[in-house]
Amino acid sequence: MLRVEGLQKSFDGFMAVSSADLRVGKGEIVAVIGPNGAGKTTLFRLITGEHLPDKGRVIFKDEEITGLPPHEICRKGIGISFQIVNIFQRMTVFDNVQVAVLAHQRKTGTLFSPARALAVEETEKILRNVGLIEKTQSVSGSLSHGDQKVLEIAIALGSNPDLLILDEPTAGMAREETSAAIDLIHRMTDELGLTILFCEHDMDLVFSIAGRIMVMHQGKSIIEASPDEVRSNKQVQEAYLGVS
Amino acid sequence: MGNRAKTFWIYGVLLAVLLVLPMMLPRFYTYILALIFVTSLLAMSLNIVVGHGGLFQFHHAAFYGVGAYTFVLTLTKAGLPMWICFILAPLAAAVAGFLIGWFCVRLSSLYFGMLQISLGSLLWAIVFRWYDMTGGDDGIHGIQMPEFISSTSSAYYFILLFFVLSFVIMYLMHQSPFGQILRATRDNPARCSAVGINVRRHQLTAIVIATFFAGEAGVLFVVLERSVFPDLLFWVLSLEIFIMCLLGGWFTFAGPVVGAAIIVSLRTFVGAYTEYWTMIIGILLILLIFFLPEGVMGFLVERFKGKPNKAPTEQTERAHASS
Amino acid sequence: MPEIDLATLGSQFLVGLSRAMILFTVSAGMSFVLGVLRVPNVAHGSLYMIGAFSAFSITKLVPGPVGFWMALILSPFVVAFVSFVAERALFCHLYQREHLMLLLFTFALSLILGDLVKIVWGAEYKSIMAPPLFDGTVRILGASIPKYNFFLLLLGPVVAVCLWLFTNKTKVGKIARAAAVDREMVGAVGINVSWVFAFAFVLGCFLAGLGGALVAPTVSIVLGMDHDLIIEAFLIVTIGGLGNMWGAMVGSLIFGLTQSFGVLFMPQFAIVFPYTAVVIVLLLRPKGILKSVW
Repeated sequence: MLRVEGLQKSFDGFMAVSSADLRVGKGEIVAVIGPNGAGKTTLFRLITGEHLPDKGRVIFKDEEITGLPPHEICRKGIGISFQIVNIFQRMTVFDNVQVAVLAHQRKTGTLFSPARALAVEETEKILRNVGLIEKTQSVSGSLSHGDQKVLEIAIALGSNPDLLILDEPTAGMAREETSAAIDLIHRMTDELGLTILFCEHDMDLVFSIAGRIMVMHQGKSIIEASPDEVRSNKQVQEAYLGVS
Repeated sequence: MGNRAKTFWIYGVLLAVLLVLPMMLPRFYTYILALIFVTSLLAMSLNIVVGHGGLFQFHHAAFYGVGAYTFVLTLTKAGLPMWICFILAPLAAAVAGFLIGWFCVRLSSLYFGMLQISLGSLLWAIVFRWYDMTGGDDGIHGIQMPEFISSTSSAYYFILLFFVLSFVIMYLMHQSPFGQILRATRDNPARCSAVGINVRRHQLTAIVIATFFAGEAGVLFVVLERSVFPDLLFWVLSLEIFIMCLLGGWFTFAGPVVGAAIIVSLRTFVGAYTEYWTMIIGILLILLIFFLPEGVMGFLVERFKGKPNKAPTEQTERAHASS
Repeated sequence: MPEIDLATLGSQFLVGLSRAMILFTVSAGMSFVLGVLRVPNVAHGSLYMIGAFSAFSITKLVPGPVGFWMALILSPFVVAFVSFVAERALFCHLYQREHLMLLLFTFALSLILGDLVKIVWGAEYKSIMAPPLFDGTVRILGASIPKYNFFLLLLGPVVAVCLWLFTNKTKVGKIARAAAVDREMVGAVGINVSWVFAFAFVLGCFLAGLGGALVAPTVSIVLGMDHDLIIEAFLIVTIGGLGNMWGAMVGSLIFGLTQSFGVLFMPQFAIVFPYTAVVIVLLLRPKGILKSVW
């Protein structure tokens, strides 16, 4: 579904990503791991169009999307949940997701019907799926950190993506919240048929749910393989996992 | 839906009172009320882009002036029938809004504001100097209005009609998906892009709508005053309207009306007692900044509805960003 | 179009240049404040006006050339004092707030100062004359320029160099520049950022006052000077590059020269020329010609 070939990006002389390659098939759960500064977040941002790559290509569903603006890439079917919580702080939980749904339904130009009445079912369905249905009227800025991260995912789901990119989805979450998140991820692939690409620092999590893993180090893709192969790979052990 | 019924009743009573007032008040007060409507319309149009859109529209008065001058010039110089002029003026303002806005949305906040100030000032300079066409510094006065709006109270009703119509339309837009997404682009444009919203196009549309209403306000001003002058395009007026929005509460819907009402009333009544009302506005503004940054409406909304409507300070914004 | 010979062209060029020097003095001050505090000082025009009016009063008190030179030297300090009071009493309490609030504060300040000038000095035109030292003209390469304008032409670069030395070679200046780039770092190393801001604001306003005093003999000193100037300074700073002193110089030159040539070619629309130039610059380089400080 997604193919990343030879992506390169530098910022003011600093090479954040020197050569990234990635392959994600439909329905898979693929993880990108690597030490801090390996370029994972930059890679995601290159895929979603937030940054323009210096070199390389991104191909999604057999269509080249390199260099398209973020809103068009989203329309093609890629959703992203950010590492640093990036929700609409002042709006309610319901409104947060509704914005995404309305955008997906191309209703952003509707000038004269009240927003309150539109896209209610779809929004509530998503909120039920992620487990935030109790809190629809809470102001999102007042939620706990874990809930905010779940809301992040819910907003991304609002655009009904085919590929969902999760940038450190459980960062800062407590134990129970993390297992709830794992359930959610499984549900998204099993029930909603989503393809998931994520990156994480929690290795237990990665190895338990990822179907395949890509390892990055200093901006380069070192290896892309099954969890067992990655675990036993010498290069990876040196670069990242340490003596384990 | 007790709340909504209550709101309807309040507005209904208000409207009834406004309809009856000209018959009871001396002409001067009717004139002031009409001026408040015109200014409120202008302030509300600004708030579409500033309060709800989060854009630094620093020279909104330029579009007000374009509307007013277009109306006058098509009426007097081109001799077109009034109804055509009446429609052309806001359209001209909207076109100006589109042209200027198209350049400005490419830039972020402060640069947006600065480019707009320079473009607006250019317009002002041209109007100010083009004596033959626009009457230059003197402006154009004593414009003839048709019979049915030639008296102060008939002008009042005419203005009130369009004010109410515009108010309702703006309210519908405020509640619509368009309005909601506009506010979303204000709060988090990156997130909006990520969910498929073309932020620039959305902002530009908001600007065109806002400048259309500003142009309409310009027309209504001419209906009331029978004259135009370059001050309508001057940056000081732009900043004044900005303050009206702030004073009223720019995150609320009707806030700018409150702000406009206060400022126009102050200017009129304080101005009658002292020639230093500018200083008084300045002091008022400082008090506002220190004690009431949410504006009057914002303060009232917080008090009586308990709904958090706070504009976050930089510190809390930074705290949220790092969590 | 009138008959224009090289001499007239030259004179206009030099006059434009001298006007640009005054614009530079004022704009450099505004740019400095913008750079350090990240806020355009809307009251800058009012302070310029107070500089001019103070110069008037001083020349009234102390007649003759002595009074004139005293006015030039003291007026900026008067203005600096006024700005210092405003800053310590009110402005400094807002430093934690959003920039928009700071901008609105400076606007409120400009409104108050504007009327304050009306109260203290009244509403009629004032004027002062340059001392006889400046009577007559100077010829440069065939073009003539009034002696006072020539003086301004020389003074401009002096101000620029002094300002440059001050911000690059003195400890205070360097701290201010550092604060412009990263105020948190400066605070983290133990420097009181509030005082740095106070210093920057007062210095910027000092320059505004100096500009006002310098311009006084060449224009009518009148209410409304502030409005005319503030937009010009603002635009100059924008096209020059935010917070960049040399940018202020470039912007002032563009502004001053286009205005002079406008006067020559299309006197009725002279002021349209600089505004058009600004628009063109901003369309091509929206962030300004030179790099902004942040």
